[in-house]
Order: sequence, then structure tokens, then C-alpha cells
Amino acid sequence: MPAHTRADKAATAVVQVGPPPVTNKRPQRNHLIPSWVLKVTMAVTGTLWAAFIAIHLFGNLKVFQGAQAYNHYAHWLREAFYPLLPKLSVLWAMRVVLGLALLAHICAAAMIWWRGREARGPHRAKIRGARAWGAWLMPLTGILIGCFIVIHVLDLTLGLGIQSAGFAAPISDESFAYENLVASFRRPAMACFYSLVMLLLAIHVAKGFTTMASDLGAMGRRWRATLALIGGLLAVAILLGNGAIPILVLTGVLS
Amino acid sequence: MKLRVEVWRQADPTDRGHFETHEVDGLEPHLSVLEMLDALNEQLIDSGREPVAFESDCREGICGACGVTVDGQVHGPEDNLPSCHQRLINLDDGASVRIEPLRSAGFPVVRDLIVDRSGLDDLIRAGGYVSINAGTAPDADSLPVGEQQAEKALDFAACIGCGACVAACPNGSAHLFTGAKLAHLSMLPMASTERQRRAHSMVRAAEELFGPCSYYGECARACPAEINLNAIAAFNHERMLAGLKRRL
Repeated sequence: MPAHTRADKAATAVVQVGPPPVTNKRPQRNHLIPSWVLKVTMAVTGTLWAAFIAIHLFGNLKVFQGAQAYNHYAHWLREAFYPLLPKLSVLWAMRVVLGLALLAHICAAAMIWWRGREARGPHRAKIRGARAWGAWLMPLTGILIGCFIVIHVLDLTLGLGIQSAGFAAPISDESFAYENLVASFRRPAMACFYSLVMLLLAIHVAKGFTTMASDLGAMGRRWRATLALIGGLLAVAILLGNGAIPILVLTGVLS
Repeated sequence: MKLRVEVWRQADPTDRGHFETHEVDGLEPHLSVLEMLDALNEQLIDSGREPVAFESDCREGICGACGVTVDGQVHGPEDNLPSCHQRLINLDDGASVRIEPLRSAGFPVVRDLIVDRSGLDDLIRAGGYVSINAGTAPDADSLPVGEQQAEKALDFAACIGCGACVAACPNGSAHLFTGAKLAHLSMLPMASTERQRRAHSMVRAAEELFGPCSYYGECARACPAEINLNAIAAFNHERMLAGLKRRL
């Protein structure tokens, strides 16, 4: 036998002393969709929804200008940019895009949550500090906001099941958004629910912006601070603007 | 001072494991958590029992070998310190203290307080290195690196690889570790030539072995090397850039 073959054999021979070592294999997962893609999806769809919420909030403020201004704005939404675009087209485009974005956001969130639990294992980690509690709250506030969207649409858009007694659907040249809103928030339970959800939404948005900065790879100190500031300001605006409307209706300031 | 130590005992990786309670007396408040375990082990050896297995090496916070969970907190009660620097002064005299191994599905327990952290080695093997054709040494100043840039890269390179970030993360994620490697290597001229390939392979490995990031921020609180949360942004930053550019 040539010398080098003998040496190779000696090098590759496995010497087993005693029983083989007991090993607990590390879990290894091959994900179909990478987690970073899911996180970027959540960041983009979340930003889209935050932009929608900001516009919605700005529109809602017309409630302080009175019934006519508010109803006129509600009616304009139905035929925005007519005759350039067909009536209801902007409304439906928004509904489709936001609906798909929401679906993607929820699916990605559920997958991330599940992967996180699996990767952590049975021993739960300690949660400390505002940042960690904020992240811990995200799925919870998210689920409640999802329920709120369903209730909100049933209550003030479709008028199905849980609408107020005096609900009136929009007709071809007029909307009754103001009357519907006042009738709905006269019910204390509904008013409290709306205001409470606005608090949860504010927390979700504020935390969402800081997470989004990280997920979109914003490494600069100023970038991150700016995004956190925008999120914080939007959260405060949601709390003060949207959150106040049901309470003002309930106390009789808006009627 | 006296402590009631509840310590995790696990004979081998397949054992279920349990807590064992011991009274340790005559401790000094300036002792570290590891020195308390030393005292406990001497006590166990004196009484003819098996000592608790735990890892430690330099005991001056630079090697990354040690790491236990003290009362649910990675390394110990103080933030940004390794176990070897966690002093007993933060614990009350006569208190009960629970010592566990670093907890994460990616870190299976080998024995008692020792965990298998080779997942982090796999991450390094996936791309946490620089491939240089070693020839004649180049002139020292032929590739200038700005002082600011070098300092920034060094901040990320401070990682001692202890795995506290993974153990502190409620998602069992290694984003802080991986991001720190990706960040410091992409900031330097020689290492940045492999930037795209590295981001592809390290991110893939990190997702196969560890969890996703939900921005809890627990990793940065536990990190003994004080790696900034920017490292987490670096993870996605590098991966997205690599996706946009052509593969090397």
C-alpha cells in the first residue's frame, strides 16, 4: 500500500470510545417565505395603513365643522375625481388595496408570531421595559383592531347587525354620515369601545413605526428618530382627534 | 451573605431536567455569579456529589464563554454585563436565586448549565469571515479607512459571541449577533467586497437556525458588548441591499 493512502486511511478512521454521545439536535427549519420578506411586507402594508389612518383622521376632523361639511365630504368620497374617474372608483380602489394589504399584514404577523414561538422553545423569555411590552402587545392590539375594523364597517358603512336604530345608507346625491355617527355614538357602550380601540391603535401605530424603521433597514440615528417621531405624533393625533369624537357625542357637545 | 440557590440539573440532552435547591453560606457581596457557583460546587464536591457543570473562561468579560440565566434574566440582574461580572450585591441576603442555562430552542442544553451554542458558529461559517488571497502583505496605508468608519465598525465588532441576545429574545432570534457581523464587515473595504454573498448566506442561516425579530429590544439590554439595536436594522438593511444588487 502506498504511504499516502495509508496515511489518509489513518486520518479518516473514526475511533469510537464508549457509547456514542447523546445529542439533542438543534432545530433547523426551511421556511418557504423568508422571515425578512414577511417583515418587509408587514412594514410596507403597515405604512400603507398608517397613511390611510392619517387621511381618515384628517377627514374625521370635519365633524367639528358641522353636519353639512361632514356629509358633503362623505359624499365627495363616493364620487372623488368624477368625471375624470367613474363614480365610486376611488372608493373601491382604496377598499381593494387596503383589504389586500390588511390580509398580507395579518398573515405575515401570524407567521412571524408562530416562528418566534417555535424558535424560542418551551421556556418563555422575561419581558422588561416599555419597548419589549410594546412588542409583546402588538399581536393583541392587532387582533382587537382587526375586530374593530369589522365592527366599524358593519356599524357605519354597511349598516348590518350592530348599526344604530336610525342608520341611513347613502343615496345617489347625499350621504348621512354625520347623523349615523351621532346615532351610533349616543350608545355609551359603542362610544367607549371606539375610544378604547383608538388608544390601542395609538399604541400599535407608535410601536409599529419604530419596528418599521428597523425592518426597512434604517440604520441612521436621525432616520430612526424621525420615523419614531412621526409614529408618535400620529399616535397622539389619533388619540386626541379620533378618540375624542365618541366622547364629545356622548357628552352632547356634538349632536 | 447567604443564598438559597435553585440550580438547573440536567444529566444529558435527552433528560427532562429539574431544579435542585442548595443553601450556600459565607458568600461575599462582591463575588460574581460564577464564583457563587464555584462555592456551590466546592460544597457539592465536599459532600461527595456531582458538581454543577457550567462554562466560563476569562472571567473578565471578554471571552463570551460564560452565560447563565439568573432569575429569568440573561447573564444576571444587571443589564449589559456578562455573568462573570454580575455581582451578588444585586441580590438580597438570604434570598432565593434561580440559576438556569441560557434558554432558547436554538441552544439545546448539553448538561446542567452548559448549552450548545454551535448555531452561532454555523452563522459565522455561513459568511462571517473575510476571504483574502494572502500574498505579500500590502502597505499599511494603501487602503485607508476613516477613523469614524473604523470606530463604528469596531463598535459592532465588539460582540463576544456569548449568545445572550438569543437567550434574551422572546422570539429566539439571532438578529443582533448576525446584524453586528454583517454591519462591521460591510463597513470595511476588504470585507465589503463579499457583502452581497455574505448577506444572502448569513441571513438564510440565521432564519433556518433562529427566530425572526419583533423588535422587543431585549437583546440590546442583555448584550455584554453593548451592541446597539442598529445591528438589527443592519440585518434587513444588508439583506435588502443584497436583493437589489447582483449576486457576487
